Amino acid sequence: MGRSKNLLNYALNCIQRYKLRTIVILICLVVASSTFSAVAFLSDGLVKEGALSLKYAPDLTVQGIQAGRQTLIPTNYVNYILGVAPGIAGVSERIWGYGNVGNTLIVIVGIDVNNSATLNQTRPQLGSIITADQAAAYPLESGHFIDSQTNDTVVLGKGVAELLGASIGSELSILTESNQVKQYTVVGIFNSESGIYNADMILMNLNAAREFFNIPNDKVTDLMVYVAPTDANTKNVLVNDVARQITGLSNVRVLTKDVLLSAQEKTYGDKSGFFSIVWYVILIAVAIIAFNQTVVVGHESKFEVGLLKSLGFSTSDVIQVRLVESLVLGTLAGAIGLTVGILFDGVLGAPVLRDFMLGWANLYPSFQLPFFISPQTILFTFAVTIIPLLFATVIPSWLNATVDPDIAMRGARA
Amino acid sequence: MIETVNLTKIYNQGKKQQVEAVTDVNLTVESGKITALVGPSGCGKTTLMSMIGQLLTPTKGKVLFDKEDVTSYSDGWKAVFRRKNMGFVFQHINLLPNLNALENVMTPLICHDVDPRDYKGAALELLDQLGLSERAYFNVEQLSGGQQQRVAVARALITEPKIIVADEPLTFVDEASAKTITDFFVKLRNDGRTILISTHATNLAKLADKTYLVTDGKVIDSY
Repeated sequence: MGRSKNLLNYALNCIQRYKLRTIVILICLVVASSTFSAVAFLSDGLVKEGALSLKYAPDLTVQGIQAGRQTLIPTNYVNYILGVAPGIAGVSERIWGYGNVGNTLIVIVGIDVNNSATLNQTRPQLGSIITADQAAAYPLESGHFIDSQTNDTVVLGKGVAELLGASIGSELSILTESNQVKQYTVVGIFNSESGIYNADMILMNLNAAREFFNIPNDKVTDLMVYVAPTDANTKNVLVNDVARQITGLSNVRVLTKDVLLSAQEKTYGDKSGFFSIVWYVILIAVAIIAFNQTVVVGHESKFEVGLLKSLGFSTSDVIQVRLVESLVLGTLAGAIGLTVGILFDGVLGAPVLRDFMLGWANLYPSFQLPFFISPQTILFTFAVTIIPLLFATVIPSWLNATVDPDIAMRGARA
Repeated sequence: MIETVNLTKIYNQGKKQQVEAVTDVNLTVESGKITALVGPSGCGKTTLMSMIGQLLTPTKGKVLFDKEDVTSYSDGWKAVFRRKNMGFVFQHINLLPNLNALENVMTPLICHDVDPRDYKGAALELLDQLGLSERAYFNVEQLSGGQQQRVAVARALITEPKIIVADEPLTFVDEASAKTITDFFVKLRNDGRTILISTHATNLAKLADKTYLVTDGKVIDSY
């Protein structure tokens, strides 16, 4: 016990004694681990937020497709879909697209607020469930929801409201796709919890959006299919069955929640993948620097290993010392890197990184950036700060410790 | 008692740079005596000392400690043997930089199952006996060669080893330090320690109970 404590103290003393090596390795590892953790926390947060946003999403989203590209879908598909299976609660029409407010690209969404024409008439009681889901998907901070009667009222995402300086009752003038200036009254503002998916959105009723995008009355951009609530397994079977039957229609594609989630994961995964490449480059640089430092202090280290062995240290004692050194340095670097990553995302709002990770839109003024501290990311960060260091320091020490002490000391002097 | 039987060391064996540093050396180091290896620089004294001290594996031959052949024992066994029985003083001093004199003296205690702090008094006492009480907390790089070698002697003795192996301990040492170290070795011999010294210094060699003359890696005479 006393011996182990002595070796531990000696290892900690070595960290202090080799100050230059300690500082260089710490700086490099902190840069690498903070870069990785900042990207990973943001990516995890976006994926998690995406999953949450799908909680109230329709069970299936049906879109028109032609020549492999999304196109408008005829509304007469609604009746066919309603007849596919008795378990379908309803089909809701939606129109969405992009519009410019000033120089800023925003999302304009029109929904069929009352589902009046599209509920499954055989199970009318399910209409209230769909309406409740839609309301839950668009939580308001202030004002009230849009209605089906007025085509000139809108609910704004928080980002849009802040950009335009709009509040409840404000009048907005937006250029439609018919090149006409259309006047809208703000009746509600989404709350900040709805995050990135509503931040840059203007929500209006279906007819208003149809007018805005100049879309024919018999078409919409997608149909949202709701399956009657039941236990998870039954629902899953039903969703897959309905999806299979709808896919049989010509010129349609069906997106399940799983598909949408995996698309989101892929989007943010690919973006974080770009940074991962940067991170790998940094990590390789770190490994080179660590190795270089090992070589620079190699003679000193080799001499020390030989001397310690001549004083009675065994090979395992020497390795134990270097192991503790590496673990302490790697853990310290990982902890600092994680802290920097959290501060970078959480306090500074991930400058530069957020623009890249959030993608095509450039309107993200003040909502809380979603980031998620996952145990996997923490473990991985520590693994990548500790393991390369173990290789860079323990292995050379082990090699030095397995030769005769006299040879190690002579080699160091040579 | 330490004995060597046909002890041989060949560096870079089978290569162009092959050097036979020590050849078929047979010698005896009596317990409680000073044994000196005397010879010109490069004659193989250090290699011989390292093999006897279990710091270097011989190419051929045996090293016997109290009749027990330890040559083929494991690296771990040899480490424990050195830890329990031997103290080394090196020609090149070999102190750990960035540590002070006291910390260097106490370094061998790290691999013992003791609290080094309990031996602080003993370490300071050794430094005092070697005339370094006022330099105990000086970084070793601030000390002269002679003072550094005296620190190394104190380090070799902190674990109270039975055998002290001192390779050219007076090479980089001033006259005053040389006298201190020489007197100290006599005192240790009188305390019953076994001392093996390699040296050029005639005054140190004169103290030896047994002297071996080494030339070109061979023992050519003893008295």
